[in-house]
Amino acid sequence: MSTSRVDVGDRLERHGATPARESTPSARAFVLEVSDLSVHYGVDANMVRAVHDVTLNVRRSTVLGVAGESGSGKSTLVYALTRLLRAPGVISGGQAILNVSSPDDPTQVTPVNLTTASERELRRVRWSHVSIVLQSALNALNPVRRIGREFDEVLRTHRRSLSRSDRRRRAAELLALVGLEPDRLDRFPHELSGGQRQRTMIALALALDPELVVMDEPTTALDVVTQREIITELAELRSRFGFAMIFITHDLSLLVELADEIVVMYAGSIVERANAGELYAAPRHPYTLGLLESFPPLHGERRELTGIAGSPPDLAAESVGCSFAPRCPFAMDRCRAESPPLAPLGDTGRSVACWLHTEHSVVPVPAPLARRWTVPSGPAAPGVSR
Amino acid sequence: MKTLRLPRSPKVLLGLGIVGFFIIMTVVGPWLAPDNPSSTAFPALLGPSAHHWLGTTSLGQDIFSQLLVGARATMVVALVAGLVATLLSMVIGVSAGYLGGVSDDGLSLLSNVFLAIPGLPLLIVIDSYLPVTSRSNEFVIGLIISLTGWAWGARVLRAQTMSLRNRDFVEAARIIGESRRRIMFTEIAPNLLPVLASSLLFTVLYSIGAYVTLAYIGLTSTAVWNWGTMLYWAQANNAPLSNEWYWFVPPGTCIALVGTGLALLNFGIDEFINPRLRAGGLSSRQRRSLGLPRRTRLGLTPVLRPRAPRGAPRRNVVSS
Amino acid sequence: MRMILRRIGLYALTAWVAVTVNFVLPRLMPGNPVQTLIGKLTGQVTPNEIRAIRLSFGMGFHEGLLAQYGTYLNQLAHGNLGISITLGAPVSSILRESVPWTVGLIGVSTVLSFLIGTFSGAILGWTRGSRFDSLIPTATFFQAIPYFFLGTVMLLIFGSNLHWFPVLGAYSANVTPGWNWAFVGSVIRYGELPVISIVLSSVAGWMLGMRNMMITMIGEDFVLMAVAKGLPRRKVIWHAARSAVLPSIANLSLAIGLVVSGALLVELVFNYPGVGDLLLQAVLNEDYPLIQGIFLVITFTVLAANLLADLVYLGLDPRTRSEAAV
Repeated sequence: MSTSRVDVGDRLERHGATPARESTPSARAFVLEVSDLSVHYGVDANMVRAVHDVTLNVRRSTVLGVAGESGSGKSTLVYALTRLLRAPGVISGGQAILNVSSPDDPTQVTPVNLTTASERELRRVRWSHVSIVLQSALNALNPVRRIGREFDEVLRTHRRSLSRSDRRRRAAELLALVGLEPDRLDRFPHELSGGQRQRTMIALALALDPELVVMDEPTTALDVVTQREIITELAELRSRFGFAMIFITHDLSLLVELADEIVVMYAGSIVERANAGELYAAPRHPYTLGLLESFPPLHGERRELTGIAGSPPDLAAESVGCSFAPRCPFAMDRCRAESPPLAPLGDTGRSVACWLHTEHSVVPVPAPLARRWTVPSGPAAPGVSR
Repeated sequence: MKTLRLPRSPKVLLGLGIVGFFIIMTVVGPWLAPDNPSSTAFPALLGPSAHHWLGTTSLGQDIFSQLLVGARATMVVALVAGLVATLLSMVIGVSAGYLGGVSDDGLSLLSNVFLAIPGLPLLIVIDSYLPVTSRSNEFVIGLIISLTGWAWGARVLRAQTMSLRNRDFVEAARIIGESRRRIMFTEIAPNLLPVLASSLLFTVLYSIGAYVTLAYIGLTSTAVWNWGTMLYWAQANNAPLSNEWYWFVPPGTCIALVGTGLALLNFGIDEFINPRLRAGGLSSRQRRSLGLPRRTRLGLTPVLRPRAPRGAPRRNVVSS
Repeated sequence: MRMILRRIGLYALTAWVAVTVNFVLPRLMPGNPVQTLIGKLTGQVTPNEIRAIRLSFGMGFHEGLLAQYGTYLNQLAHGNLGISITLGAPVSSILRESVPWTVGLIGVSTVLSFLIGTFSGAILGWTRGSRFDSLIPTATFFQAIPYFFLGTVMLLIFGSNLHWFPVLGAYSANVTPGWNWAFVGSVIRYGELPVISIVLSSVAGWMLGMRNMMITMIGEDFVLMAVAKGLPRRKVIWHAARSAVLPSIANLSLAIGLVVSGALLVELVFNYPGVGDLLLQAVLNEDYPLIQGIFLVITFTVLAANLLADLVYLGLDPRTRSEAAV
């Protein structure tokens, strides 16, 4: 197996709904631990391997960014680990463990294995511990219901003790968090603007004070100004309430602003993982470089946008070698023959799946990659505001 | 041009089989009929026997022969009506959807009016004024039925055309400067094929029902044998109350079978048009062998367990 | 509001078309059937009645076509549908007796069938892939059976063979029509089999339509979100079904015409004293005024039902409401 586990040394065998037990250090540190997760669409001859052997961890109260083009498997990954992936999606291996902390004693942590959990157990952790914001709030909100009813429903299901007026008050509070007037509660989704709808979704996601919020391209459908505002608000809300976030986007420069750690996905695998600032300052994988140069940063100097030639591979076809090789400007013979594992990059705490950066690599790092490294670096460079 | 490839599900195959069977019956039925369906040479009200597979009527006519001969008129009227109605709905629906503006308003209004008028009563009124000679003519009846049956198809086709109108390839043809008529018939029409096929099946289904109904209340010539006329005579002679099931059950069952066949085919087309209706792509046997649940629940993505026997799981191990 | 006004406009236009068809048809047909009819009647009925018949067709004496049309519309506006040739009574008073039976029978069956079909369709759509799917071909078969044939078979099996239900007619000969329990009970008892027949024939259509919409809705994000919110399954289904039922109701106005057409013939099978039975008599006797009167009454009733369905839709879909407000 080519998988490497970077963050967690101790591997734990866990099963769904294990009763509360001694919290291990890793369970306290990480809200989500995903190991070797693989996802297929279909299982017969026509199957598509959308995600393979992905291992990642989300540290409490931090933002993990997942970047990649459409078709890279980034959305499939998070839908699968929350068990929300639709048919014909099938989880074909690995596991995802959500470390649920008890509301009374945050140090007491119960691991829930999402991949073996029953429908009932899933229902218990959903929204109270992990909530989701989708790309299109217009589609995510029930078109024939008033906004207030969405809040009411969530609170009534998970917070039985709240009275009707309590729920209404709580909903108004939540809307205030994202800067919306309480009168929006009586509106229908189509009566709100795109930005207002997405803010509503964010408020709804925070309704039960979850430990993890998954954001699937929440700002992609919005204009740049609103996008900017929402990103700022999210950073503020995060520092105020301390929830962790998985933020999925194809816009790497956006992630650099918001995320603590970033994983870059290509063709269903993680190709690079690093601290946000370091990834921006010194990308190691040629694909990361390509992504960085496809978008202008939200602020900072203008650069020429180059993008990546070619298109993502057909996942239904069996491939040999590195899946990025056909598009990679630096591809070598080895890349076409052998698939590079995701390996730690020295002691830097980051990892990359590229033959250019293996420990014993004799190949010089290509100029375009290296040139970028000379940009004045350091964690503060891209202006991570928090 | 998109070809219409139907999903090869059991439903569609069954539908094809049924419709195929009755088409053959339409063609060869009258030749196979053992007796003249109108001949009253036999004893009345015989039950089914080796001589008269489905017995005889109260006039001593052979019911099996009536059934075979009647297939032709029934199917011909249904086909004529279905084809004409589909043609009408195509011309009106596609024009409305493509031209837009005032033409669209007018044509849409026309089809909405025809949709709102209950078809059968209108049909009865028109038909009751027809001279008896026209009533025995399958083509006249077919045409009249098509008049009351085109509106639904026109509406669906209009919607489809409107969504096609703004697609890239149509835009491209317009920029190249192709004529409107050419764009309409060479660029848009082929892409309407699935909707058109569905609309044809629907109108044929409607036409069979309408024709049989007209015949059943005695509004077609009783000299032309069709399944509706058979039911008319059975009802007129109180066959249902006298337990003469062999008289009216066979034609009714044939009608229902043809209808079922058409509807099953339509399922295939529906699944072609709306991919969400297609099943997840796994047969139940595959699911069982992989230890997957019989159906996937929303919000409970299935997990393949390593203990699953040979086959697909081994492929999973291939690492990148 | 604008949507409703538009629909009312459409229905008014449709009503006018139906009325005009009635006027034009007799004049279009070769040999002018009405003239022939009147010729046939001379001597059988009083000249006054012939005059009334002519008037109801708009055939005053030696007037231009437009004037004839005016006369016809005027007569219609006064509720004069002419005089039935076979029954010798005004068509309007004949219809007044039979229409309530039809509206009651078909109304009850349509509402029942819609409710049962929509409910089971929602379940079928939700449990797609389960063994409930085997219901679909059966349902398709029932949908393809002509209403009157299914009625006939039901009559044969459950009426005349098993004697589970009374057959023929709308109430027992032993009760006095009026608002008394015996009569109402008898009407319900006699209505059971016709209602069951109509529901059986029409329920599959609603069921399959709802199933398809349900499957489409389950593919929508907001239903997935309902699951992500950890809602109980019943609430998730409700999210999907509430939206899936809208197209069903929008189609209701289209389907009513078909259902009514089919159901009329069921009356005929069961000798139900409604419009369907009357229609058969009228057709057999070439009673044109009666046929036309029935056609108009059915059309107007269907249009009214359409309007009702539109109002229900408007109440259920906030999007159309606000569109109207713009």
